[in-house]
Amino acid sequence: MLSVIGVFVAMQVHLPPGDQSTQSVDETSLLDLMLVISTPVFIGVVLFILYSVFAFRQTRGAVVDGPPSYGNFRLQVAWVAITAVIVLILAVIGINGLQNSSAETSFASSQGALGTTGSATAAGSRLQVQVIGQQWWFTYRFPDYGGVESQHLMLPVDTNIEFHVTSTDVLHSFWAYELGIKADANPGVDNITYVSTARTGSFTVRCAELCGLWHGHMADTNGAVVSQADFATWIAQVQKDNAGLKLPPYSPIYFPHPPVKGS
Amino acid sequence: MGGRLAIVVLALAVILVLLTGFLVSFVFHFPPTLTAQPTSVGNGVTIHLETVAAVQDAIAFPRPDDPHPTWVSYLPTTILKVPANSVVTISIDQEDGASGLRNPYWGKAQGIIGGTFHMTYFDGNGAPQAGDFNAIDPTTLAHSFAIPDLGVFVPLQGIADAAPAGSHNEITFSFKTGKAGIFRWQCFVPCGAGSIYGNGNAMSTFGYMHGVLIVQ
Amino acid sequence: MAVAPIVDEGPAIIQTSERRIVIPTNIITAIVLAVFGYWIGEQLGNSFMLNDAQNTGVLLGYSFASILFLVGIGFANYPLARLFGWRVTPQPAGDDHTGAWRYLNLSLDHKVIGVQYLVAMLMAMLFGGIGAMLIRTALLVPDPPIVAPDKYLTLVSMHSVMMIFVASAAIVGPFGNFFVPYMIGTNRMAFPRLEALSFWLVPPAIIILLAAPIFGGFQTGWTGYTPLAEQADQGFDSYIVGFTLIGLALVVSGVNMLTTIIRLRAPGMTWTRLPIFVWGVFSASILGTFAAPILAAALVMQALDRTINTTFFVSAAGGSPYLWENLFWFFGHPEVYIFILPAFGIVLELLPHFSRKPLWGYRTAVVGLLGVTLLSWFVWQHHLFMSGIAPAIRPFFMFSTEMISIPTGIVFLVAFGTLWRARISMTVPMLFCLGFLFNFLIGGLSGVFLSDVPSDVTLHGSYFSMAHFHFTIVGGEIFAIIAAIYYWFPKMTGRMLNQTLGKIHFWWMMIAFNLAFMPLFAVGLLDMPRRVSTYSVNLQTLNDWVSIWAYILFASMLFFAFNVIWSWFFTFKVAPANPWNVRSIEWLLPTPLGRRNFETIPVFTGGPYDYGNPGAKPVADLGGSGDSSLRGLGAEPVPS
Repeated sequence: MLSVIGVFVAMQVHLPPGDQSTQSVDETSLLDLMLVISTPVFIGVVLFILYSVFAFRQTRGAVVDGPPSYGNFRLQVAWVAITAVIVLILAVIGINGLQNSSAETSFASSQGALGTTGSATAAGSRLQVQVIGQQWWFTYRFPDYGGVESQHLMLPVDTNIEFHVTSTDVLHSFWAYELGIKADANPGVDNITYVSTARTGSFTVRCAELCGLWHGHMADTNGAVVSQADFATWIAQVQKDNAGLKLPPYSPIYFPHPPVKGS
Repeated sequence: MGGRLAIVVLALAVILVLLTGFLVSFVFHFPPTLTAQPTSVGNGVTIHLETVAAVQDAIAFPRPDDPHPTWVSYLPTTILKVPANSVVTISIDQEDGASGLRNPYWGKAQGIIGGTFHMTYFDGNGAPQAGDFNAIDPTTLAHSFAIPDLGVFVPLQGIADAAPAGSHNEITFSFKTGKAGIFRWQCFVPCGAGSIYGNGNAMSTFGYMHGVLIVQ
Repeated sequence: MAVAPIVDEGPAIIQTSERRIVIPTNIITAIVLAVFGYWIGEQLGNSFMLNDAQNTGVLLGYSFASILFLVGIGFANYPLARLFGWRVTPQPAGDDHTGAWRYLNLSLDHKVIGVQYLVAMLMAMLFGGIGAMLIRTALLVPDPPIVAPDKYLTLVSMHSVMMIFVASAAIVGPFGNFFVPYMIGTNRMAFPRLEALSFWLVPPAIIILLAAPIFGGFQTGWTGYTPLAEQADQGFDSYIVGFTLIGLALVVSGVNMLTTIIRLRAPGMTWTRLPIFVWGVFSASILGTFAAPILAAALVMQALDRTINTTFFVSAAGGSPYLWENLFWFFGHPEVYIFILPAFGIVLELLPHFSRKPLWGYRTAVVGLLGVTLLSWFVWQHHLFMSGIAPAIRPFFMFSTEMISIPTGIVFLVAFGTLWRARISMTVPMLFCLGFLFNFLIGGLSGVFLSDVPSDVTLHGSYFSMAHFHFTIVGGEIFAIIAAIYYWFPKMTGRMLNQTLGKIHFWWMMIAFNLAFMPLFAVGLLDMPRRVSTYSVNLQTLNDWVSIWAYILFASMLFFAFNVIWSWFFTFKVAPANPWNVRSIEWLLPTPLGRRNFETIPVFTGGPYDYGNPGAKPVADLGGSGDSSLRGLGAEPVPS
């Protein structure tokens, strides 16, 4: 009874990351599911402990022993079986989600972090965005637009996007909270993740891996998913701003220089 | 018995107090604050800074008791206090040589009034030059002055080898402050010589190449 | 300096040189030698003139200081005496004393080592707690203008590493060393010198870690991920040497515990009569013995990268940061089960005693503990789901991580089975055990959220995961430790902790802990990453709430410290020999305990939890060692 109420309450909780991309929708529903599964477990266990504590108290004065029960084999087997089934269900849901998300990039690809490609699109039609972590700001390059670089991230809505995350110094982690993506930026590594934008709106980019002094300040609230037309306007402006810059040719990784101490 | 144990307890308490004092004094050690000087006209303020290759070589703002005399640094301090909704003009005596940028993107000035900064510098022959720039060659940067949350990025050109001893490049730029708040500023050039990737020592310690801009 | 007295021991068969100069080995010599060692090491390291930002000097300084500290405390006496043919004195100087002085010197008595460990761990916990309070103070405002971010990150790193030190040794160290020999019926550990070494490695580790701020501290957290760690200044050398010393202590103590439990069990102490606490120590020792060397090896690689410019972890020169991540977590995940397995042992040990029922499903519980031990080797990559590892291996690690909930579920089942129809005495240790079950339940359930890759995308590296492991380690392990302190303190020190203060402490700590850490799940879901010195303005209310309850939590620990100090030193009433009126063998011996554990080695005849079974045999035939009045189930009521 309490569990039913608990589950009902749990279902009212709005969990992040929301619905700005198909990935965040997936994650939100998975978090919801887990909350719904764990609520009755939590309530059941707490009720059991409370009941035992109040019902099976030692009476004051004389010390009385409890019944000498050493275990119940069938109950133990049943318990293990039930936990195993729950674990299996969770694992199947998780692996299924992973398999869907990685279907297009081939399951055994050596690169790539989490990703969902959503509706089937040819690999070439995804918008390529490179995320460069550096101490202490993320910058973004757009190889589809001549490799221009920007200090904020705008994305077109209803688009499949392929992020290539890399770093020029230490480890960072590119975390676009509302988009439901997180991928570590490693120096010398091209870490790929995917997102399919579903709704316009602003999002926050944070660094989720300790990267030193300004780790906490490596947050940009100016990220936004915008309409295709607004994106075209914005990227044209970025191209204009990039005019006087001598950027290196686009590359999946940029090795930091100097590579070793003191040189 | 009781007396000796009381001594032990007392000794533990003394150690604890000393240690806590040490930790607290370490944690709450904060550099001094520099309040910007108001200009004679308008609501502007000015700040004068110096960047040096080593604290011990400072000309305008010597800091003889610094624990790290060989570290690269902004001087005199990196805690800058400016009023809200004002025009801040910063002039920097840049005395350090070039290290070069890792991400050449930061070679372009952004977020400053007029889009350009004024710079007096020395060319390859050691001759003094001056001009307004919106970007410089990314390999010639010694440091940068960046307030990412305000969108301000200014490259500081390294002093030429041929420049006379004791001279400096002078970079002047202005930007507008908005509402009150605390904004970090930092250098994007990996200038912490002697550490891997150049981002150690002065680049990973508050008060040398990093600071905060207190807008109030 | 003194010349050793010549003692006539009859005709010597081996020619020994009796004349030698002896420097008294004690804590003062050790400190003097350690300071000298640091100076030598620093001079030597800097004399190489390496391009190493003077890390070699600091690393060698710490290493020499640690080694000479151990020499000064007396670890070299025995090997040197054997080497030079001097007369061998197996008993170190500390054991000649009887008062408090022996606790500050080398002693091979496992009871002394247990108390040494207990005090050292409580001190370290206090240092770590002060760090936590300073962290929470800095987080009172979203952008603190008084704490620089590098100082803040140093605090976070020192708090975490200090608490990892505490968590990895605070059960096996004090209670394992003290009670395992009693519980299995032996007078000593298999390797008393290793046992002493496992303790004396800890104080240098703590002091070296506390020295980090002198060199500017380090900003890497307890994970020490490269290249951030390689970029760090000399403060990070504290991490390397301190963690290596703790790793050595884990290996040394693990080998000793395993050998003792396997080889030194008294007659009748079969594997199925072994108290469940000993099983907890046993499984944690397996993990410690085999996991800690990996950490030590990885730390040596870090040290080489920082000193002679090898490039194990430098990607631009052919190394890889993934190497560190994998080595670290291949140690790091078994490490977290080193924390929790002995805590399971304590809770399952105490529950039957205070429920006055046999441990329900003893064999299943053992299978559960060993199952966790086995599975913990196959889950480390779940810390790296977002790091860019091959997608194909993620389902495996997701599955293996979720599998851990099966043996953990068994532990809960055993606890429930024991509580069912029991006769529960709500003593202070029992309260903390029940608190453990509640907190660890929350910790465990939140772990499931983190184990699934898609949900981990949002939760990884956020305050959610921080709240998760604080619920398992503080709410779990620390609660178990405090339960153990309340339970065993009368036997260890001869003084009963004040039970009324204990009950106040429990409710105070339980409420403050939950109110302090529960909101952190929400903070994490609202996108606050871990280890940040600043946060969004809209999270200030939650963070201030957390800080205030964290202060109250810390105050509850000070209250506990007051109870310990007051009851230990300022009450002069010897505790009853068996205040809890339980069957376990250590309580059947007189208090205070004798110098020798057992006058004659006991013969075990029954299990430790056979309550309510009229056919149950006594636990053991104690010969002359036991207090005969304690043999049966006395009529003394349990204090409640």
